[in-house]
Formats: sequence, C-alpha cells, structure tokens
Amino acid sequence: MIFSEPVFRPGGDRFIEMELGDEMSFDLNFRVHSVSRLIREEGPAGIVEIVPELTSIMISYDFERIPYADVVAEVTALFHAVGPLDGLELDSRIFYLPIRYFDPWTRECYDDYCAKIAQKERDPELVARLNGLADLAQLARVHSGTDYWVAALGFYPGLVSLMPLDPRCRLTAPKYDPPRTWTYKGTIGIGGSLCSIYPDRTPGGYQMIARTPVPIWDPQQRLAAFAESLALFRPGDRVRFIPASAEEYEHVAAQVEAGTYLHNVAEYQRFSIGNYHRWLATIDETVRF
Amino acid sequence: MLEVIKPGLETTVQDWPGRIGYWEQGFPFSGPMDDWSFRLANLLVGNAADAAGLECQFTGPTLRFGRDAVIALTGAAMQPTLDNAPLPLWESVVVRAGQVLSLGFARIGARAYLAIAGGIETAPVLGSRATFHQAGIGGLDGYALKEGQRLPLGTGDGAGEPGRRVREECRPPLTDERVWQMEAVPGPNDDWIDEAGHRRFLESDWTVQSRSNRTGFRLDGPAWSFTAKATDKRPEHGEDPSNILDHGYPVGAVNLCGQTPIILVNDGPSTGGFINPYTVPSAAFWKLAQSRPGDVYRFRAVSVEEAQDKRRAINRLIAESSIERV
Repeated sequence: MIFSEPVFRPGGDRFIEMELGDEMSFDLNFRVHSVSRLIREEGPAGIVEIVPELTSIMISYDFERIPYADVVAEVTALFHAVGPLDGLELDSRIFYLPIRYFDPWTRECYDDYCAKIAQKERDPELVARLNGLADLAQLARVHSGTDYWVAALGFYPGLVSLMPLDPRCRLTAPKYDPPRTWTYKGTIGIGGSLCSIYPDRTPGGYQMIARTPVPIWDPQQRLAAFAESLALFRPGDRVRFIPASAEEYEHVAAQVEAGTYLHNVAEYQRFSIGNYHRWLATIDETVRF
Repeated sequence: MLEVIKPGLETTVQDWPGRIGYWEQGFPFSGPMDDWSFRLANLLVGNAADAAGLECQFTGPTLRFGRDAVIALTGAAMQPTLDNAPLPLWESVVVRAGQVLSLGFARIGARAYLAIAGGIETAPVLGSRATFHQAGIGGLDGYALKEGQRLPLGTGDGAGEPGRRVREECRPPLTDERVWQMEAVPGPNDDWIDEAGHRRFLESDWTVQSRSNRTGFRLDGPAWSFTAKATDKRPEHGEDPSNILDHGYPVGAVNLCGQTPIILVNDGPSTGGFINPYTVPSAAFWKLAQSRPGDVYRFRAVSVEEAQDKRRAINRLIAESSIERV
C-alpha cells in the first residue's frame, strides 16, 4: 500500500520515522526520494539529517531548534508539495560497472560456507532455478539486461539496495540461513527482490552471482571518484552491469590497484517517472531476455 | 604529541557530536557513547565542544606526554595514575612533558574520557575525527590505538587551567550498582508488539550479553509476542515476525532481531530489515556507555517530551556553573 498521508512515528528524543507506504514498489521509492529532495532543499532548520529507505524516511532533528510537531507539520506540507508522480523528474547519474559472472572468488566463498557452516545449492544455479531460467547464460543475460535504481544506501558505508527497473529482469532469491561470516569485497548478490554490491569484506546473506573489481567505497579516497565522499553512490543513481571476461576483469583490477581507474559514469542523466510509466505500458512484462 | 605505551582494551579518538552529514550513505555518527562525561572533560580543560579526546573502554591506556598539557579524566573510574601517583577524576590537572599517564581497569563504570587542552589533532575524515573502526575511518589510521603510535595534539601552549573540578551533583551518578533504570520511548514499531509483549519488556530484567560493543548492546530476557502487523504482512517484509522492509534505524533503537533485542548505539548500522519497538533516548546513553556485560536493565516507558526534558537537563549541566575551584 502507498499511503495518501504519511505516518510519523517517534524514534526516541531525536529521530522521527516517516512512513510513506508498506510495500516493495519503485513508485513508492521514487516518492520517498522526491520528498527527500524537497526536505534537503526546503526543509526547516533543525532537521539534521535524513535517511531515505525503500518505503520510509528516517529524520534526525535537533529538538532544541524545532519541536516534534513542527517537523511533522512542515514535512507533511513538503510531502503534499511533491504532487503527482508522473510529473516528477530526478537527477540520476548512471554508473557502468564491469562484473564477472560466476567468478572463482564467490565460488570459493560458497565452498568455504559449505565446508564450515552448512550445505546448500550453488548460488547461481539456485537463482536460475527459482526464477525459471534455462541456464546460467540466461541468468547473466537477464541480470545485466536492465538499469538498476539505487533505492537506498545503508547498513554499512556505501552498501546499496538496487531495484531492477525493467520488470522483465526481476529476480528473487532467499537469503542465506544462517548468514555467511564473510563475503568478498565487490561481490554482487541477490536477496529478496533486491540486488546489492558488497562495498567491503563483510558478513552477508545475499546469493552471490558475480564480482566487480570496481570499488564502490574507498576509505583511503585513492581514486578520483572518491574525492568528495568515501561512498560512490547517492540515492536515485542508477547502475548498469557490464559483463566482463576474465581478462577484462584483470585489466580493470590492475587499474584500480595502480590508482588510475576512472569510474565510468554518465553525469548528465535525469530520470522521468512519467516516461518510465509510458514505456512500461508498451512492454510485455512476462517475457525474459 | 602523545605516545601510546599501552593501548588499553579498545581506546579510540572521538569527537562530539561525531560524523554528521553522511548518515544516508551508511556512516554512523560515532562519537563518545557517554557524551555527558566527554563534554564535561572538554569543558574542564577549556576546549571547544567539538575538540577530540579519547574514549577508553573497560581497560584504559598508558600514555606518555610529549609536551606539557592540562588534561582532565571523566567517566569510569580506571584508577588513573601520573608517574605512579594517583590522579583525581573530574578535575583539570597539569601534566609535564615526559610524564606517563596510566589507566587500569574500570572499577566503576566502563568508559573513561580523556580531554587534553588543545585537543587531539588527527586528520578529520568527512568532517570529524571520530573513529569508526568497523570500517577503518577516522581517529588514528581508522582504528583503535596501537602500541607505539603517536597522537598529534593541538597547540595547547598556555591553554587550559588546572584546579577546575565538576561539582559532584553535575556528574553522571555512577555507582557500582549493576542494575540500571533505563528510559525507552515507545516506537517507531511499537504497534508490531502485542500487549503481553510490551508488558514483558517493561516488567522484566534484561541482562547485557558479553557480545556488546559500540555497535550494539545485546540483551537476554523473556520472549517477545506480536500483533497481526508482524505476523500477517506482505511477503516482501520477510518471514520472521521481527522482519520489516529495510528502513532507517534510529540511534538507540531497541532493534529486535528474531527474539534478541539489540540496542543500536553510536557505531550501529544506519538501516536494516528488523523492527524497532522502542528507542533508548539520548539522555540514557551515559547508562549504556557505563554498563557492563552481566548488568541488568529495567526499562521504563517515557514520552518523547519527557525524554527531551531529560536531555535538556543534561545539556544545561555542560556549563561553567557546573565547575568549582579545587
């Protein structure tokens, strides 16, 4: 459900959770980011930070500067000021990321999990089977056949929740249970209906299908893309995965290692949800690539 | 310069209010967990409120000073000595170049704070010197102090005044009592818990597990029970009653992970897929910071207004009126 009026709930003395709905939906998430943009640009003084998520916005505020009730009233007004979805556009950079499907590193991580924690079906085979795909080649084709929407960031610095924009490329998968104790940096995983990129070596639960040599976060800020922030993505960016051969992967990895890698990003892009809806109406969502 | 002779259990550079402005990219605020004690330490030595100091956890460090300085220790009682002579807490004192400050284990409380006039001047990362060691950023090279490291100090020549002491009634009331009355504001997801679940949360003893740190405090206690909102929901929320579509986590959230509540604190995750039935307000963070594994929490539900009044009361204490002359 997408709410016609936002619901506000307190998170202690200095946070407010604003709920805009309770379902996994691109339209809902687009509204989250449209409202978030207005809060950033026109929100009242005293709002310290916001965290836009899939269906909600966490607001941090300084109650010495603005009381709870005023945050609610002012943010509600901004919610209504956003207007109908089909008229909205957001700046949306596109990042092109080379990835190697069914790579040896995620396989090694899977083998380690099976040896030490629990037996399970191999991740790519499991994802292909559960989604009715003919083989792994089709999994790579389907997975790389769409732009992904950066729906949210968080949990760990730079970690992204990615939604496929082309409904013909939707994939779903259960998470590891119990979770992994480690995952290679740069692993591409699928959990629920979201895709994610592991910014660093961390525990994890998404099904692993590929790896990218391109860093999406860099605490040392070695590469040019991290001059202003340690994390690559902002909410509302898009990601396109480019299948890479072993040689191409090594080529990029060597550039990253040397500190010369330039992230491939189109900065001029905007995203029109009206155009998106018109395009959706023209396609048969049931076919696969 | 401050030389690390022994690093202590996990001693980090922190500043207050920490790293603000990057939460939406997944960076927590970090900063001192007991900011009441931390801010009083800076006040004692005449530092600006955002000057960086050290947070010492459970067992403190041994440090040699490379220059004269005025310092103050607040928070947990870690039996501090200066060249083996006992040093008072809650008081600004002079340290001479070459002297060795040594902290032991915390007899009362868990976290002690060291402020040095002029502050610690490690390189800020994203606008803050606070250490977030889970991801290796801030502080000194991103992590807790290590033996042999040298911490750069600000120019504190002549700055800071010894003989200033925090009045006893203006300090966090630390005792060796192991049972804590902990405030908790219902929400954001209090409507996912049924009445019996709320009653058990507010009427039971909750024991702090040993796996507790600056990310979160895990609690042992009775089982939770849920409303239909948790058990009869759309499938994308996940299978467990405590699962919800990923959302932002308030700092202080009582984050319910299956049946285990974890109070998320300064270095906690910004988002995730579990519900937060209660949130511990900022005015109670000094109690979290000063409690230890095995301690017991008893929760009391408070309104947003009461939680904010309690915080205002603490903020008012970070003032010259709290200082007396020795």
